[in-house]
Amino acid sequence: MAPPSDATTATAAKAVFRKVLYMKQAYPDNYVDTTFLEHFQQNATIRVHDYWTTVQDSGVILQHGTSILVFVALFIFLYTDQVSALRLIWSGALLTAAGYVFWDVGMRKLDPSFSYARTALFIFAMLLGLSPILMTLTKDTSSDTIWAMTVVMFLANASMHDYGLGERAGIQFSGTMSTNAAIFASVLLASRLPTSTHVFALMSVAVEWFALFPILRRHLRRLSSHHSIALTCLLAIVCTAMYYYISITLMLIYVAACIFVTFVCPWWLISIQKYKNEIHGPWDEARPKLQRQSAMPSH
Amino acid sequence: MVSDFFYPNMGGVESHLFHLSQQLIRRGHKVIVVTHAYGNRAGVRYVTNGLKVYYLPAWVGYQQATPPTFFSFFPIMRNIFVREQIDVVHGHQALSPLCHEAIFHARTMGLRTCFTDHSLFGFNDLGNVVGNKVLKFTLSDIDHVICVSHTSKENTVLRAALNPQDVSVIPNAIAASQFAPDPGAPDPNWSGYWRMRAQVTIVVISRLVYRKGIDLLVAIIPRVCALHPKVRFLIGGDGAKRIDLEQMRENCLLHDRVRFIGSVKHHDVRNVLVQGQIFLNTSLTEAFCIAVVEAASCGLAIVSTRVGGVPEVLPPHMIYFAQPEEDDLVRAVDQAIQAAYLKKVLPTRQHAEVKQMYSWANVAERTEIVYDRITQIHTPPFIERLRRYYGCGLWAGKVFCIMAALDLLFLLLLDWWLPRETVEIAPNFPTRKYKQASERGDHGRTEQRVVVAI
Repeated sequence: MAPPSDATTATAAKAVFRKVLYMKQAYPDNYVDTTFLEHFQQNATIRVHDYWTTVQDSGVILQHGTSILVFVALFIFLYTDQVSALRLIWSGALLTAAGYVFWDVGMRKLDPSFSYARTALFIFAMLLGLSPILMTLTKDTSSDTIWAMTVVMFLANASMHDYGLGERAGIQFSGTMSTNAAIFASVLLASRLPTSTHVFALMSVAVEWFALFPILRRHLRRLSSHHSIALTCLLAIVCTAMYYYISITLMLIYVAACIFVTFVCPWWLISIQKYKNEIHGPWDEARPKLQRQSAMPSH
Repeated sequence: MVSDFFYPNMGGVESHLFHLSQQLIRRGHKVIVVTHAYGNRAGVRYVTNGLKVYYLPAWVGYQQATPPTFFSFFPIMRNIFVREQIDVVHGHQALSPLCHEAIFHARTMGLRTCFTDHSLFGFNDLGNVVGNKVLKFTLSDIDHVICVSHTSKENTVLRAALNPQDVSVIPNAIAASQFAPDPGAPDPNWSGYWRMRAQVTIVVISRLVYRKGIDLLVAIIPRVCALHPKVRFLIGGDGAKRIDLEQMRENCLLHDRVRFIGSVKHHDVRNVLVQGQIFLNTSLTEAFCIAVVEAASCGLAIVSTRVGGVPEVLPPHMIYFAQPEEDDLVRAVDQAIQAAYLKKVLPTRQHAEVKQMYSWANVAERTEIVYDRITQIHTPPFIERLRRYYGCGLWAGKVFCIMAALDLLFLLLLDWWLPRETVEIAPNFPTRKYKQASERGDHGRTEQRVVVAI
């Protein structure tokens, strides 16, 4: 692309323009060829969402939100002495055992050395020992601060939770940060309870509910979508019933939120899809393809 | 010329600014570089051939870029533009806030502006979205834009919604004389030891980071070493991914085949390059890739991933392309090694060819055409500027308009407070006298000393 004098343009104008820099071409530097933007792609990788599939998938969010609310409701029942701490401990333990057997049978991977059971026993023993400490840990902080902090921590838990199938990490605890936030919130709440039995009850439920229950939910989702939908409905009904005893207003808000998340949000997502404007072209950062999947690069 | 990036910082943009300025001075223009202060290198300095550099006092943020200050540079920039009698303000590099501010204020002062984009940006993450908005702001009121490759032009036109007619493609160049091949350089202990078949050294010089495709490099080195027992790797550069490479070397027991030499200073690059026969570039994105041109000039065969503007840079007989995939890259490297065994590349001839393709004199000549063109455009009235900014977006457009209006008021305030007439005009550097003196060598200097003594 030499500086275009009239003579050169006249003689070499027939030469086809090529997108190269190593040749001097008889075109001005600001020449726009017909091949300009020929590799430009718009919305190439777009995925069209189907309404009912999206509704089904939104169940994951509903499940997690509801499970947080159920936990809070359990705390309120404990706090107001509507549920005895011992009953909560026993029902929690029984449900955990049932869930363990279900998971073990489902995976066809029986555990002869009881290593999981021993770990669980150890954790709960430690919780029992720590309960008096946990009870007084944040006792001096005012209740208002505790409620506010709890809300923040549960929001953190909800925003960082791994809503995916957790395929990469296998059956490991997903989203360590999210679990930590939830346990921290539970510790804060526990300090408002009167006895260390209450604290142990709440903390053991917290561990079961925020560390183990997500594994069961993921397992169900992998089994079939019907199981997952059934669990969502069950959770929603339990939650509604619990809040019916606490406050009718809260229950109504919860039901409205459920409808919003499950039915309105998917419709909203699909309706704003038409504004999507994804641009791809040769300037995009390439994704290196490696043979070993385990060595996938990290930024 | 305005950019955050200039010597003593090292890199592609820095050397581009330096060489382009030198060539423009040679062509009889007056060139001033404005950048931010580097450590105690502050104030006004002269570098080679009387190129005047203003190092502005500024905070330095991420990777030598100044944080955006919006208006605070205006007084000092106005002062420089007036005192140096500037006609054209030429900003470099989209990541430099200093450059954006200079262009913006220059427009308020009614000067011609030009912008050179040196890199590629995507459209799909938050950082890019913000960056593209800023770019759109600066470029919606600009006379001309220069891109370093056709791919970069397409990218910039889309990012800033420009008229492609206002974008020129002027490639980077290299100082070819600094990248001459040296047939005696390959390590004699390595290449001459086995006379049966020549040994091949593959050179990699790049920052060792994800964007340069170091994951690919980690994957292919063991495979290439297994295929060809007489190949070794020489890796220059440093970065986060160096650990991965060293780990690979440990795991695959390749200590005698893979050598790390750490980061390489720009003037040593040639001495490293000439030790090899093949240059390997595994970048995942690249606007121009000056490294492959430098290597080609040193007479190396090039293997590169086919990304961004790289396919435009060298003719097919100098370069082996591969997709950014492990298998394909191994295939391309294998091809290059086979060719190296047969000594297909003639370094001296290749050097002459590359020298023909890229020279700073040519870049300066073409940049001059751009300057000539933009000095003929008449400056649009203020309302036209507002119209252009308004089109930048629903909210951004309004914010940009407010900023443009504020900037104009600021200019009026400055003109009233520190009238232009009170700004002292800087004397021009006596380029011709300097050249004569330097041609006369030491003699000139003694003469000068005599004058001082009198």
